[in-house]
Amino acid sequence: MKATWQRFKSSYLLYSFRRDKVAMASFAVLVLLILTGLAAPLVSPYNPYDPSSIDIMNSELPPAWQDAGSRAFLLGTDVQGRDMVSTMIYGLRLSILIGCGAVTLQALIGIFIGLIAGYIGGKVDALLMRLADIQLSFPYLMVAIFISAIFQVAFGIGRYAELAVPLLIVIIGLSEWPVYARTIRASVIGEKNKEYVEAARVIGLNRRLIMVRHILPNTITSVLVISTIQVANAVMSEAALSFLGLGMPVTKPSLGSLIRSGFEYIFSGSWWITIFPGILLVIFVLVINLLGDWLRDVLNPKLYKGA
Amino acid sequence: MKKMMIVLLSVLLIAAFGSLAGAKTLKVGLDADPVSLDPHVQLSGGMLQLSHWVFDPLVRWTQKMTFEPRLATKWKRIDDLTMRFYLRKGVKFHSGNPFTAKDVKFTVERLKKSVDFKGLFEPFAGVKIIDDHTVDITTKKPYALLLNMATYIFPMDSKFYSGKDKNGQPKDAIVKIGPSFALNHESGTGPFKVTYREQGVKTVFERFAGYWDKKSPGNVTKMILTPIKEDATRVAALLSGDVDFISPVPPQDFMRIKRDANVNLFTYPGGRIITVQMNEKRRKEFRDVRVRQAIVYAINNAGIVKTIMKGTATVAGQQSPPGYAGHNPACKPRYDLKKARALMKAAGLEKGFTCTMIAPNNRYVNDEKIAQAVVSMLAKINIKVNLKTMPKAQYWDEFDAQVADMQMIGWHSDTEDSGNFSEFLVMCPNKKTGYGQYNSGNYCNPEVDKLTLAAQSETNLKKRAAMLKKIEKILYDDAAFIPFHWQNHSYGARKNLMVKPIINTMNFPYFGDLVIK
Amino acid sequence: MFAFIVRRIGQAVLVMLVISLVGFSIKNRIGDPVRDVVGERVTPAERAALRQKLGLNDPFLVQYVRFVENALKGDLGLSFFYKKPALKVIISKAPATLELVFVTALILIVVSLPIGVFTAIRPRNWFSRFTMAFSTLGVSIPVFLTAILLIYVFAVTLNWLPSYGRGLTVDIGGWQSGLLTLDGLKHLILPSISLASIMLPLFIRLIRAEMMEILETEYIKFAWAKGLRRSRIWFLHAFKNTLLPVITVFGVQIGIMFAFTILTETVFQWQGMGFMFLEAVERSDTSLLVAYLVVVGVIFVVVNTLVDIIYGLVNPTVRVAGRK
Repeated sequence: MKATWQRFKSSYLLYSFRRDKVAMASFAVLVLLILTGLAAPLVSPYNPYDPSSIDIMNSELPPAWQDAGSRAFLLGTDVQGRDMVSTMIYGLRLSILIGCGAVTLQALIGIFIGLIAGYIGGKVDALLMRLADIQLSFPYLMVAIFISAIFQVAFGIGRYAELAVPLLIVIIGLSEWPVYARTIRASVIGEKNKEYVEAARVIGLNRRLIMVRHILPNTITSVLVISTIQVANAVMSEAALSFLGLGMPVTKPSLGSLIRSGFEYIFSGSWWITIFPGILLVIFVLVINLLGDWLRDVLNPKLYKGA
Repeated sequence: MKKMMIVLLSVLLIAAFGSLAGAKTLKVGLDADPVSLDPHVQLSGGMLQLSHWVFDPLVRWTQKMTFEPRLATKWKRIDDLTMRFYLRKGVKFHSGNPFTAKDVKFTVERLKKSVDFKGLFEPFAGVKIIDDHTVDITTKKPYALLLNMATYIFPMDSKFYSGKDKNGQPKDAIVKIGPSFALNHESGTGPFKVTYREQGVKTVFERFAGYWDKKSPGNVTKMILTPIKEDATRVAALLSGDVDFISPVPPQDFMRIKRDANVNLFTYPGGRIITVQMNEKRRKEFRDVRVRQAIVYAINNAGIVKTIMKGTATVAGQQSPPGYAGHNPACKPRYDLKKARALMKAAGLEKGFTCTMIAPNNRYVNDEKIAQAVVSMLAKINIKVNLKTMPKAQYWDEFDAQVADMQMIGWHSDTEDSGNFSEFLVMCPNKKTGYGQYNSGNYCNPEVDKLTLAAQSETNLKKRAAMLKKIEKILYDDAAFIPFHWQNHSYGARKNLMVKPIINTMNFPYFGDLVIK
Repeated sequence: MFAFIVRRIGQAVLVMLVISLVGFSIKNRIGDPVRDVVGERVTPAERAALRQKLGLNDPFLVQYVRFVENALKGDLGLSFFYKKPALKVIISKAPATLELVFVTALILIVVSLPIGVFTAIRPRNWFSRFTMAFSTLGVSIPVFLTAILLIYVFAVTLNWLPSYGRGLTVDIGGWQSGLLTLDGLKHLILPSISLASIMLPLFIRLIRAEMMEILETEYIKFAWAKGLRRSRIWFLHAFKNTLLPVITVFGVQIGIMFAFTILTETVFQWQGMGFMFLEAVERSDTSLLVAYLVVVGVIFVVVNTLVDIIYGLVNPTVRVAGRK
């Protein structure tokens, strides 16, 4: 354990991180946002998911510094009378959850398929990659919309509210796995014929072991680089789906659904319902993207063309 | 190519500015456009609006809820079953054909064939032609609301709609899905002819030169109807001058429209009651009248009207809006959280329970937001509600299947009479008779059934009103459903439009009579 | 080449079958189309009769086979809402989307090429640094948020530009064009800018990266050594070679742009295919939905095949026929 820490301390990764102010700042903001999100029940002034705490008579209060604003609601309230600060924190938590969950799923499927396609090759490879091509040729948003429509129906109404988060994870996860599959396959094909794999094969290790123990670790850097970008993409996808009304149910608004509900009110002057969640969403995605940029430059300078 | 473009552009310029002298163009932005030009293809507010622009009824409602002679100049009861209508002479259809008794008979018969209208016209036996300008309309049983129903008879040009179209389909065919002659062709007697129509994009109406009503003050020569679905966009279009008239106006934008110097806001009390039904078959809790009452007491419907509806609705405690025969002033809206909690305690449910609820999200004004407010209000008496909202196209199937414990429904009486509410919403559901078709609460009270049926054929109006009022009181005491409010209709228009005289409680703006200054 | 095309067509047919099957299987699940075309007063019995008449009660396979048979004849069914052949509806909505995508692509090319090249040859310039920082911000703003902000600033607050719809269009042989009128062009500005905003950073980065890579290559170094003029090296030697990969990515991204049009069209009430798609979902116009799926599928397969073929033609190292 200590040795790992030592190795990390003297690594190029840490070295370049400490020299890059943007990366450090982004990292700090990201950590802050993630902690806030995870500790939502502790830090947010109200619990927006507890309907009994919401009073309709507080609806559409402007931020506290405006004339009609109330001290109790720093950034104002939405049309149901929910505190914006609390709702945004809970929304952020949802974004984190769905973003990470969806990317984990994408990565699992993608890595599995990528490994198999790359290592076995031949007909299996052709079939799997064709599948990936086909799915990639359909914009992910459309795929997500279709899957979302199917799932909404497959599960009853009462359970939809509880199931929305896992469903969105599955929907967004299923729609972008080919990104991983392609990258992994490419690096597997690259590694497959290297001497150490040959050697392993000669010793008589079985395929699965070679794949998991020897080839997979060598693809980790590219997985890491893709993952940061993909988390940002997944967060945006969730926001887009919720914006179209296909994502989180109205009683558990995410940042995207808040922006949507605020859009109706933007002409009438209640700009805060859209603008604040919008800013939070952009900051969150921005710091992930900035870190992703940095990581890509450091770990794998060649990759930056694709994304 | 360049030449062609110049020609095109100049044609456009002429089209845009050429209509200056005396011509008044009205640009209307509604949330949806009529689904067809065939008035009998769908029974909906939008189609009836169109009917008033392009066709003309025998009689129509005034703002005071009296009957105004249109194509019928006079009428009189001959016996319990028959009413005689004297038709206006010298009226011409858009096709040039003269309007006669034959057209009325044709229209009523077509109504009875229409899937959407045949239910409403079930009490009707038929039309007898006395002479070219006199008809007798008969019903199967004594029917108090015959004249109310005559507002639905918009005579169609029987000659124009006879024969076969180029696909070999009869021209009078009512086709729900697919092409039909009446879908794209019209010949009515109304103030406007349809000159261009691209569904979902634009409909253009032009004033009919041979319109019979020379006394109508209306001076609109051309009307362009554009559907603008998104509320915020519709308002923006009015404020920027892209359109002259919009409806509905989303409540959240009322202040903005009032503040603007160039536009006016008009609202008119409507008759559509918004309710939520509590399914007694699905939930034993709802069978306890105390629980139902507790829920009604817990709902701050006055608060909803004030905040979500921005005051643009009338808080309700019953089905019948003020002015209806059945409106019972004793049934006041009730909101009392303490009492609600006490009732829950008395029912032994102070810990509450969990239930499900569905509501549409594009059917009624702010329906989704109202439903959400219900969730937080019921949470205060420990009832946890799992809410799902969906577009109306998906909603009604779920509603019929009664998939949730609580379901939202709004109702506007077809006959502008109280009985219609009870027949559809609270009578014991009966597949055979069709009563209680939209009673997803399965509230069933034989006394209510008896009174409602008796009121149908009671021709003594005083007695009838007493019966209808009694029904409201029973429903009120039983807390048969959760009443919210009666929606107001709302219109936004540029200052030079004299909108006030042409709007009414049915939400049929009579554009034919609109004056543009 | 021939074998490649045949194989691609075979795949395309297979894909279409799968897509239409998927479309069909959700068809009955997203609401009853009959419900939307009748008024609320219609009795259940009448509705059932109508369903029967429309063949909606037939077994799944019967409906599907009927659909495929008709589809082969070019008939994708009737839209329940528009009461017209679904294909016709889609075609009538296509110009709006295509014009939006076209103008967006134009903005992309005009803006991203010079900026991309500039940032590549002058990486340390303040403008380049600013652009690179800004481009990360650009990809981080969801397209619907950009659209809302643009509307708020330019339509609501300043009242300079219209906020919805296509404005005045001209009919040219059935193609409703908004490109020929001032009003139509005005209406195009905000939607196309918001659509371009999500792609622009991507292209600037791509062009910059490609160009920088090429500037590092041996033959460019050789050109420098030979003492050629700067502009000649940059624009003739380097830039020309940058274009090939850019064009390929451009082709793929245009496809992705179609997906984003759904969001843009929703916000701007743009009467295009994306708007139609979401409306069809809301109205349960299932036959239109399935037709839309199939049409979109065809477009993507065709575009991808074309991109592959072009790529194969210009780049002999990729052997399209083999692909193994």
